[in-house]
Formats: sequence, structure tokens, C-alpha cells
Amino acid sequence: MSLSRDQKIGAFFLLFAVLLVFVWVPLDVDSGYTVQVRRQVSVGDAFAPTIAGVFVLIGGLFLLVFGGTRDEPQEPIDFLALRFAGLLFAVYVLSFMMMLFVGPIAVLVSNLLTGMEQEYRLLRDAAPWKYLGFAVGCTFAITSTISLLEGRFSLRAVLIGLCAVLAMIAIYDLPFDDLLLPPNGDV
Amino acid sequence: MGALDYIWMGILAVLQGPEFFSILGVGVSVTIVMVALGFLLGVAVGATPGLGGPIAMAISLPILVSIFGFTPDALLPVMGFLIGIMKGATIGGAVPAILFNTPGTPDAYLTTLDGYPMTENGEARKALRVAHFSSVTGDTFSDVVLIVCAPFLALLVESYLDLPEKAALLILSLSFIAAAVGGSPAKGLISTGLGLLAAYIGTGEDFYPRLTGGSEALQSGLPLVSVILGALIIGSVIYEMTTYWRERGRAERAQRQQKRQGQGLSFALIRKLLPYIGRSAVAGTIIGALPGIGSTLAATIGYALGRARYAKTKHPDDPEFGQGAPEGVASTEAANSSVSGANLIPVLSLGIPGNAAAVFLILAAESIGGFTPGPSVFKFTTDQVNPELVIAFGLFTCMFLANFLNWTVGGVIMRSMGVMTRIPKQILLPCVLMLTLTAIYVQETAMAAVWITLAFGVMGYLMRVFGISPLPFMVAFILGGRLEETLRQAFSATGSDPWFLLNNPIAAAFMGLAALTVIIALRQDRRSSFSERKA
Amino acid sequence: MKSLLKTFATASVVALAATATVAQDWTPPGPIKMMVAFRAGGGADTHARLIAEELEKRHGWQIIPEEVAGRGGLNMAIALKDAPADGTVIGMAVSTVFTYVMEASPSAGLSLDDYTPLATTAAFQMGVVADASRGWKTIDDAFSAAQDGEQLSFGVAGPQLADMAYLLGEANGVDFNIVSLRGGRAVLDAITAGDVDMGFVAGIQGKGVAAGDLVNLASAISEPLDQSPDAPLLLDRGLEFPSNGRFIFAAPAGIPDEARQAISDAIIAVVSDPETEAGALVDRAFGGPATASGVELDAFMQDDLVSSRALLEAASQ
Repeated sequence: MSLSRDQKIGAFFLLFAVLLVFVWVPLDVDSGYTVQVRRQVSVGDAFAPTIAGVFVLIGGLFLLVFGGTRDEPQEPIDFLALRFAGLLFAVYVLSFMMMLFVGPIAVLVSNLLTGMEQEYRLLRDAAPWKYLGFAVGCTFAITSTISLLEGRFSLRAVLIGLCAVLAMIAIYDLPFDDLLLPPNGDV
Repeated sequence: MGALDYIWMGILAVLQGPEFFSILGVGVSVTIVMVALGFLLGVAVGATPGLGGPIAMAISLPILVSIFGFTPDALLPVMGFLIGIMKGATIGGAVPAILFNTPGTPDAYLTTLDGYPMTENGEARKALRVAHFSSVTGDTFSDVVLIVCAPFLALLVESYLDLPEKAALLILSLSFIAAAVGGSPAKGLISTGLGLLAAYIGTGEDFYPRLTGGSEALQSGLPLVSVILGALIIGSVIYEMTTYWRERGRAERAQRQQKRQGQGLSFALIRKLLPYIGRSAVAGTIIGALPGIGSTLAATIGYALGRARYAKTKHPDDPEFGQGAPEGVASTEAANSSVSGANLIPVLSLGIPGNAAAVFLILAAESIGGFTPGPSVFKFTTDQVNPELVIAFGLFTCMFLANFLNWTVGGVIMRSMGVMTRIPKQILLPCVLMLTLTAIYVQETAMAAVWITLAFGVMGYLMRVFGISPLPFMVAFILGGRLEETLRQAFSATGSDPWFLLNNPIAAAFMGLAALTVIIALRQDRRSSFSERKA
Repeated sequence: MKSLLKTFATASVVALAATATVAQDWTPPGPIKMMVAFRAGGGADTHARLIAEELEKRHGWQIIPEEVAGRGGLNMAIALKDAPADGTVIGMAVSTVFTYVMEASPSAGLSLDDYTPLATTAAFQMGVVADASRGWKTIDDAFSAAQDGEQLSFGVAGPQLADMAYLLGEANGVDFNIVSLRGGRAVLDAITAGDVDMGFVAGIQGKGVAAGDLVNLASAISEPLDQSPDAPLLLDRGLEFPSNGRFIFAAPAGIPDEARQAISDAIIAVVSDPETEAGALVDRAFGGPATASGVELDAFMQDDLVSSRALLEAASQ
């Protein structure tokens, strides 16, 4: 018997809910459904996640049992679009990874050239160091995304990326002393 | 000192406050300037996907407090600015929802359902006009109700709802949303369950942060902005991008032409919209007055009421709800805007915030001092002046000032944000995505927040692909923490009575309604699918 | 009391200034990250940010406040523990995070020894508060209501106050339904809304009490409350543990002495000066500065550690 797509979704979430309630919650929560503290019974930490699981369970079960009764034609899943979406997400993950590493590497290189012993952490609020990672990562992300969408690489895309970087620095960094651009809060 | 004296003093406190500048010898008080600036900022941030009223308030509050200091004189300018943001963001939030299908605020999600199809039909300006008119009407109505009812209504509501009733009411709201939103109640239940689960990761009473697998990044729970902006904005922007990419080669990809004709609001249209606006404004105001139930539920109910009426009265040629009906935009916008005024009823009379904007107003009052939102505010003392009551009426004056701006120039400012439609999508979308991620980073100052946002972006994208509405997810995520806390507290306060939800009449009635909503929705869904199969 | 504290604070600043020649030369090697264990925008957070601003103004240091809230301050403590110990990372929390909270959660693997306390800034006017409409004047009226058979609920923010409420009930033959709420503001809200009958509130009840809407039934600190000097001490009602938390700034263990002294002195100087915005806030919201640093602060923390262990022991019986 082949399942409809809704039935497959139902089966997936049914399994997820069962795993959540019987494996994840018992293993990864310290207290039970109720706990006894100071001679008073109170609600434990496992109670609410179990309720969440019950919601998913009922929904999943209902989809699995009745989800096949719909005959309406469903738009087929567009796997090419899914793969493209995956690529886009990868670009953004990569761009934020770049932000993390560009600044410290630049400081390392500058130390080799000048013989100084500087540390990126201590320079994280000093221009131009604080902009390096953000500028590189942000330009990369915007340029690549525009290029992917247009199907070609263009200088215009790079310029737009750079303009966006300048605009965001103007919004978040220049007027406010205490706001940090990525990645300067993590170092 | 009668009530009228207090009202007059409140108005004067705004109009005659410290002078900011003067035109032709007439001084303009700093409060007026701050309300106007806040309003402008509000429209701008509301219209910018990834920003929003609460973020703007969170960032500006410390700045404002440093500028104005800790004197009671600072209360009206600072809180006026926040009220300006609140009102501006409410109408601004509809702009990206209508133009780009990316709701800037959670409440604007339902606006996308009809607003964006109108844009696709070339009626963007009309949609914005409808949104503005409905929003400002609902808002003004709500403010009037606030001023008339604040002293009485909230005290009444609060005296009937104890902890068990509040818990039951939250369960009722969640069940209703799961069952009513997004077409399929089964998927709605799944979406709700996932939202609750997300709310429970890393939170709780134990010192071990539950469900985190020991990860340090998750130990303070999932950041609100990451989850909401991730599931809603990132997910939908990526979805938009893939759609753009898939259709890029196709010649028939329609350039969105603005129709030359019929973009204005005719009296006939206003007459047609008014019943929808009226119902939604009443529903939104009632929901807004209940503490803790925000504008998202109001928008949902307003939309549902509108859809029910529309199904009965619509002309066969008119577009369906969800396909570009102005009535859909009007129902949603009037409902979510009419929450904001009424939401201040429990804030001002009990000190209990009902939404994020109210939280920031309370925080402002608290950090400046001299005004404690609570029952003591509405004491009409006759022998001596109650300064807090003067401030309260000053705040009402600020709200009407903002409404005045909204009626007069709000529409123009809002539509001027429509300039963003000219920016090509393949350029705008990547910039919006990056702005959102950067905004989240600046708020949370941790890469973990960006990773979490992207992860929920993937989830939001997949939910769209598989036809699961992210709205119940979001509402459940927002209400989840409060639900658990209220359940805990009600259980403790009733001396660990396991039947606390059922053994008092109001709570039991709420619980009965909750169960009934889900059962009816599931049965109807089943019946309709059976009849479809027979047909 | 207030003036006594101020005199004391001024005296300690003068004393420290005399020995602070080395400390004056200290400058941070980079921007200082100030991790605040409270939600942004509240009184505690504002207090930290205003101190940061004033320090920047006075010393030219660059301070970047960051919110690391959650789990009663434990999240901040975890982040602070492994931060560089050179004066460029400090944290602000309630002092009990380093004593009671760490003792109560041994699985977190943290202890007071992992940190260098820098300075305390303010103490709390912790009282047992009820709505005036109950008609109670002192905690004794609540006890007699309970003994007449009324089931009373007691709102608390955090397990330490829950332990105290439990022991208070036990010492007076009352079985409170202890309701745990998120933060003092939430407790006050619950009292106002009638969700709980009474609760521990640390200072923000001031205006309500002044207006006659709320009543301080008792003082939970070791002296009478400034505002309600006639309210009995819980110490006199069989509860051996006063609530003596303060706002505290701390650094990771192993921070150089001159850095510790320089930062502590600078913070204390700011909060002790009512002319600064931070000092004005402390005066208005927390009844004046309550400062301590150096050896005195070490002793304060050690005392609190001993007292916290005893409280945990007593409450778990």
C-alpha cells in the first residue's frame, strides 16, 4: 500500500512524537512530570514538553489515518528548487563562518608583517579591524546570492554587496557605541 | 479636582511641556516632537522586514533614558516616543507584508494572505490604502475604548480570572489557533506542538537546561527573534528566492504592472469595508483587553470573522479570501491594530503587559520612575493632584497625537515606503536576508543566534513546501513559556490539585470549548475530505 | 540607615584611594565586555549600563554591555568562568548567584572560587508584601488567617526565596502553597492581580506601599525596611536566614590585583556619587549604595556561602 504525501508527513511526525515523548524527554530532562520540592508536589520540567509531544502525536496520527482520503491533486515536490534552497542556506552559513575567521587571520598576518603581538579580541571594537570580517562575509553572501539568482556573476552584484555593507555599518555601528556587528560579540 | 480637570491637565502636560523649538513664537513641546519622531521611526522599522516595533523600542529605550534622565519630566517624551513607534510600526508592518509577502511583524502574517495577491494583481497602492484606513480606524476605536474603560474593564476581567482560568484560557487560545488556522487542523496541531516544543528547549525550572543535549548555545533557550524571524522571514525569503530562480527563464513571468485606475479608496469601497473593520475592531479590542493574549490571535479571529461574513455576502465576481480581497486586508489590519490601544488597559490599570510594546512602556516607566502602572494610577483624588493620573491622561493625549499624525500623514509616509517595490527582487531579497541576520546578531551578539535562525529558516522553508502553516508554530512558541508557567503556578497555588483546570466553572468552560474546537475542526476536515472523494 | 551606608561607602572609597596608587596606572588592554545577567531594559540592567557609561566618561575605558540572562544568573556565570582573566571581561549579577545558586546546582560544576568578586553596588529592601485589600497589617495577621484554616499562596522569584518561604511557614506552623514566578516584577504583578496572597518583593513595592495599595508585612533582610520600619523582621519570626543579596560585579578568578582594584574602585566611586545617573538610580530604586570590595567583599561572600549551605540543608529536611 502506498501512502499519500500527507500520510507520509503524518507518519514522520508520529514517529517524531513517539521518540520525543519516550526517548528524548526521559533522557534529556532532569525532573519528571511532577517533582516533590519542600513537601509540595509541583509540575516538573518533563510535563510541558510531553504536552507538546501530544499535540504533534494527535496531528500526526490524524494525518496518517485520514490523510490518504484526499484525492485532490498535489503539486509535486520540486526537488531542483529544494536543492537550490539548500545551496542558498549553505552560502549564508559559509558567509558567517568567513566573518568569524577573516578578522583574526588578518591580525595574524599583520603581526607577521609588523612583528607586533596584537590580538583580534582586543581590537574587536577598533576600526578597521572590526569591519573586516563583516565586510568580507556580507559582500560574499550578497554577491553570491545575486549571482545565483541571476545565473551569472556580475560586477554589479559585488557593488551592491559593498553598498549593503556600508549601509548596515551606518545603521548599526556608527550611531551606537554598544552595538556590535558580527562576529565581534563572539570573541 | 474632577475627572475633567485631570483630562485637561494631561493634555496640557503634553502640549505645554519643555519647549523643543518654537515656530512664530508658538512653542512646540518636546513631547510632540518625540511622538512624531517615534512615529516616523516606527513606520520605517515596521516596513523593514527583520526589524519591528519591539526591536526599535529595545534599542531606543536606553538611549532615550540617557538623553532625558530620571525625572518625571522624562516620562511623557520617552513614553510618547515609544507610543509613536508602536503606532507607526503597526501600519508600517503591513507594507512588507503586502508588497513582499514578508511580514515584518507576526501580526502582519495574515495581511500577506490577501495583501500580497492584491500586489500581484497590480493593486499594491490600493492594498496599502485599505490597510492604512483599516488600521488607523481600528486603532482609534481601540484608543477610545481604552480611555473610557481602562479604570473599570480590566479590574473586572482580572477579578474573574485566577491562575487556573488563565491557564485554561491559554489552552483554549492554542487549541483554537491549531484548529482554525492554516486549512488542515491536523497540520495545525503538528505546527502548534512543534512551537511548544521549541519554547521548552533550554528553559524550565531545573538547573539542567532541558532538551539541549548539554549544548551551551541552547542553555538560555532559543532566542525569540531567532525562532520567529527564522521560521517566518528567512523561510519565506528563501522560498521566494527559489520561486524567482525557477521562474527566471520563463518568458511569461509577469512584470507587476500597477493599474492606473481604481487605486484610490472610493466611498463605496469604504462603505463595503466598514462592516469588516467594525467587527474586527471590536474583536481586537476585546482580545487586547485580556492580558497576555496578543494581536496575533486578534488578527486570526478578525480574519476568520471577515472570511465568514465574506462567504455569505460576496459578489460572485469578487476575489476569494486569500486571493486578493481588500476585505481580507481590512479584517486583519483593523483587528491587529485595535489590540494596541486596548492592550494598555491591563497595563495601565494593573501593570500587567499584554504584548511586547506594553512591556517596553512598563520598562520605561520603571527605569525613569515617578509612574507605576497599576491600580494606584486611576485614583481620582480630589483634595490633591494625583500626578500619575495626569501622566496617564498625558499618555492618552500622546496616543491621540499619534493617531492624528496617522490619519493625516500616515498614509503618505506608509505608501512612500512602497518605493521599495521598484528594487528588483533578486537584489532586494539577498539584502533583506542579510539585514535580518545582521539585526539578529546585533540584538543577540552571538553567532549561535544566527545558526539557530538559519536552522529555523530551513524549518520554515520546509513547512511551506509541505503545506504546514507556520502561524500556529509561532503563536505556540510565544505562548508556550507563559502556558507552562501559568500551569505550574496554578497547580502550586491550588495546593497541587490535579483537577485545577476542571473544578471551577470558568476554567472548565474554557477547557470544554478547547476540546470542542479541536474535535469539531477534525470532524469537519474528515467529512469534507470524504465528500470530496465521493464527488 | 541610608546616611550610615553612605558614610561607610565614602569612607571605604577614601581608604581605597589611599592604597590605590598601582591601580590608578591600570588601563584595560582592550574593550571591556560587561555581561549583564538581567533582561535588557529593567532596573538592574539600566543600573549596569549607566555605570558602564559613567566609567567610559571618567576613565576613557571602552565598555560594551551584553545581556547574558537566564537561569537565575547561572548562564552569565558559566560564560564568565572561562573568559580571559585580564580585566577585559566582567559580569554583573546578584551576589547569591555565586553562593546559593551554585551550591543548589552542583551539576553545573561552578563555585565561588572560579571568580573574583569586584564590588557590590546596592542591596535590596526585600519585604513580604501583600495587597492592602487583604486587611493584614503584619505577617502575624497572615499567620492567624492561615491558622484559621485559610490556604495561603506565597509568590517567590527563585529557589532561594522559595526555601525561605518554606522555612518561614514551617517555623510558624503554616503550610504555604509556594508559587514560583519569573522575577520580582512578576511576583508583584501576581500580588496585585490577586493570583497569590503574598510574596517576596525586593524594593519595587515602594510606590505601592507609599500609595497605601500594598503592605510590607515583614522585612526579609536583617534590619527593618526603610519604608516600613514597624514591619517585624522575619528573623524574629523563626526564619534564621535573612535575604542579603546585592548587585555585584565580578571577574573570572586570577585577574591581576591592580586590575581588580582599579575596576572595583571605579565602580564604587560611580555608585557612591549621587550626582551621576547611576548613583541617582541606586539612591532612588535601591535605597542608596551598599558597596563593598576587596577583603571586605571576600568575607561577605564567604559568610553568604556558609549561610547558603545552611539554608539548603535546612530546606531539604
